[in-house]
Amino acid sequence: MTTPYHGLVKRVLDGELTLADLPPELRAEGEDALRLLGAVDRAPVTLSPQLDARVMAAVRRHAQSPLRRAWRAVAAPREIELRLRIRPWALWGGALAAAAAVALLLGRPTTPGATPSVVAGVAARDSVFVRFVLYAPGAKRVTVAGTFNQWDQNAAPLVPAGTSGVWTTTLALPIGQHQYAFVVDGRRWVADPAAPAVGDGFGRRNSVVAVTTGARIL
Amino acid sequence: MKALGLSLAIVLAAGLPCAVAAQDVAARLDARVPADLAHAVQEIARDAAGRGLPVEPLIQKAIEGGAKGVPAPRVIAAVRQLAARLDEAQSAVRSAGTTAPSADAIESGAYALNTGMTASQVSELVRASRPPYDPAVTLRVVATLTALGVPAPQGLAMVEHMISERRAPSELLDLPSEVQAATARGATPTEAVQQLDPQQQGGGATHGPGQHGHSPQPPSPHPHKP
Repeated sequence: MTTPYHGLVKRVLDGELTLADLPPELRAEGEDALRLLGAVDRAPVTLSPQLDARVMAAVRRHAQSPLRRAWRAVAAPREIELRLRIRPWALWGGALAAAAAVALLLGRPTTPGATPSVVAGVAARDSVFVRFVLYAPGAKRVTVAGTFNQWDQNAAPLVPAGTSGVWTTTLALPIGQHQYAFVVDGRRWVADPAAPAVGDGFGRRNSVVAVTTGARIL
Repeated sequence: MKALGLSLAIVLAAGLPCAVAAQDVAARLDARVPADLAHAVQEIARDAAGRGLPVEPLIQKAIEGGAKGVPAPRVIAAVRQLAARLDEAQSAVRSAGTTAPSADAIESGAYALNTGMTASQVSELVRASRPPYDPAVTLRVVATLTALGVPAPQGLAMVEHMISERRAPSELLDLPSEVQAATARGATPTEAVQQLDPQQQGGGATHGPGQHGHSPQPPSPHPHKP
């Protein structure tokens, strides 16, 4: 049951007003409300003496369930320590084998169509994700072309970020230095304003990105 | 261990252009550029390979020209110019005492020349880049600084200063992004370098070749970090 106190009385109960702030006709109601609140606040809370026992018995029953114990045995996290001892010659042997495998992959004759898949194989191991961003309001299509995709202006389209005019894409670039440019609407080559640029030898500028180990970008 | 990993990655990366050099240039250019252009580039690449130059940048330049719709004669001129730059870079690296420069070092040297560094600056930096510093990496760092607008002597002096202090190679790699961050905050490229390396305030950028960063200076744990 709730007592429909006047709004000002409720504010007294909330501590926002004092009894003195109430108009005379509400003071009695305010005093009653405060008395009631005081009685509730000070009333001791007593629990049944059997409550503890009942709760603990329920917890024990739950904990001793065989199904529950089995699940705990399977799912409980455990600390496992792994120690790996590698002799230096094994490390160098592995590195040389990996280098030989890369050389074999790249050394075999390839057709033009096969080249990107070889590069992708290397990229999967030694590559870094690089985000490209261009502000090109009004553009209908933006792509990025460079040495990493054989200057193919259809290989890496950027995606517009809403209607803000910002276009972005993220590419995995192999470790090494790459030159690139954005292609706006399939015909306008634009250097990345956020990256260093060099002359391309054709009277325009190429942007430069160098991807190094440790996910560093020059 | 970190340096070992970096060295291994650089060794592997340096091997890539050599492996690509063995491929048939004509096959790479087929269907990407007109046949006469492909033939001309193949000739240039054959000569370059004979002089120990990497051919992958030449192939890439031809493909780039084709993709950009540049007329064939202009593409051929650009490929020839790039071959000449690779030649110049190879000579600059060799004159620093490296008898068999890696393809990566030559390419980085050509990039450095393209950004405005001189051959003598390239030689000087290669000479200063003794292990654990890889010349290809240090060249790339200074060249990138130059491409960002830092005067080449100033960028060179800064990197040589860090090498003389035996700073971690990874710290060198951070320089361009730190300069970019400073310029984004409103500093000019020159001011950015001075903020990162107060030693540059004392005229480090005006030193001639062979005089950068070796003068006594007060110890500074992180002079390139503001």
